[in-house]
Amino acid sequence: MMLAPTYIDGSGAVVPQPTVNQDKFLEEILEYNERFLQVVSPVYKDYIDVKLLRRMSKIVKMSIVSARVAMQQAGVDQVDAIMTGTGMGCQIDTEKFLNAMIENGETLLTPTSFIQSTHNTMGGQIALMLGNKNHNLTYVHRTFSFESALLDAMMMIAEKEAQKVLVGGIDEITDESWLIKTQIDYYKKHACKNSEVYNDLQPGALSGEGSAFFVLSADRSEKTYAQLKGVSTLYKPRSNKELEDFIKRFLVTSELGLSDIDLVIMGNNGDPVFDRVYEDLATGLLKTIPTGRFKHLCGEYDTASSFALWIASGILRHQHVPSTISQHPFKGRTPKNILIYNHFRNINHSLILVSTPDAS
Amino acid sequence: MEALIEKLKEQIIKQLNLEDITPADINEEDSLFGEGLGLDSIDALELIVLLEKEYGIRIENPKDGQKIFFSIKTMAEFIQEHQKK
Repeated sequence: MMLAPTYIDGSGAVVPQPTVNQDKFLEEILEYNERFLQVVSPVYKDYIDVKLLRRMSKIVKMSIVSARVAMQQAGVDQVDAIMTGTGMGCQIDTEKFLNAMIENGETLLTPTSFIQSTHNTMGGQIALMLGNKNHNLTYVHRTFSFESALLDAMMMIAEKEAQKVLVGGIDEITDESWLIKTQIDYYKKHACKNSEVYNDLQPGALSGEGSAFFVLSADRSEKTYAQLKGVSTLYKPRSNKELEDFIKRFLVTSELGLSDIDLVIMGNNGDPVFDRVYEDLATGLLKTIPTGRFKHLCGEYDTASSFALWIASGILRHQHVPSTISQHPFKGRTPKNILIYNHFRNINHSLILVSTPDAS
Repeated sequence: MEALIEKLKEQIIKQLNLEDITPADINEEDSLFGEGLGLDSIDALELIVLLEKEYGIRIENPKDGQKIFFSIKTMAEFIQEHQKK
């Protein structure tokens, strides 16, 4: 569906790479040889009152910092709505609460981890910090969570229900959740170098975590550096052709052709089975378009596409494609239209199209 | 009593995740709520659970809480008086 123009005025991310207070845009990356990737913690005290900080788990802190960075960049101190997407929510506090239930025979439960264990804690805490009583919604749709939040934000702007919307995607990894998902081959069992993840033969993805927030606006301003042109999802395509048709349809709806796309950012995650879907597209329908990958930077998590959007909008802002996201030096034209394509185990497929502000 | 006060300080710092505060920073007679340590109602619930979990003491009458949790010293006195463990 083609919606009214939605502009990106600010973005912030907390991921396993240094992204907060950085002059450089992903020029150098941190190399890991771990079972899963964890975020580089910013100095949280610079963004959150120490008295509040003590009750917050990692996921809440990283969402608040990324939201604050996005709002600072956009030069706004209030928004008309807050939309949050999270696949798994506050896992650390949920585990803490459930473990306490088991250890203490369902008695002596402490309130803090319970209060902080619900999925909408991040959206709620951001609203509390801003003193914001406007529309506040959290989407929990596994790997469609961020896309759902984004689509809702775009629709609110299109229907003129909001001028500015804060929208983000967040997920955290824990030892427990990693362990459970290695049992079903979702995640790799052994440590792996993130820089070599796409050649790792272990089943599953290299898991990770992260948070990325954006200030979307109905109007273009001097702060605007990108335009969100569309988002679409596809559930369980039955064939490669259905997937290719989905991409073609999406571009037609966005009034673009394949030749208009300057870069495709793909969600390869190092899973040898499911990365084939990306490879088939890169050597098939999208073979003429330069491609980039991002999950060696952040690992796989349900809302990882939010970090891809942070990268894509950053490319448009800096007018530069960092060599850290592409296999080969980027030789294409300065990007005007960037397509993000992500899928989770060939079940949930999503497309996000982001362009320069003046792109028609 | 001294040992109990020190232990309580450490337990409270850990339970309430009081970052940047050491046992030496807490005066045993200062109020825990309001101007003293600045604890709030959620912390009060955490302290009730701490008393029951660590010392086996259950506060039967919630109205007693204000007196018991006034300071580290009043907590320690209450524990000494009622300790079952």
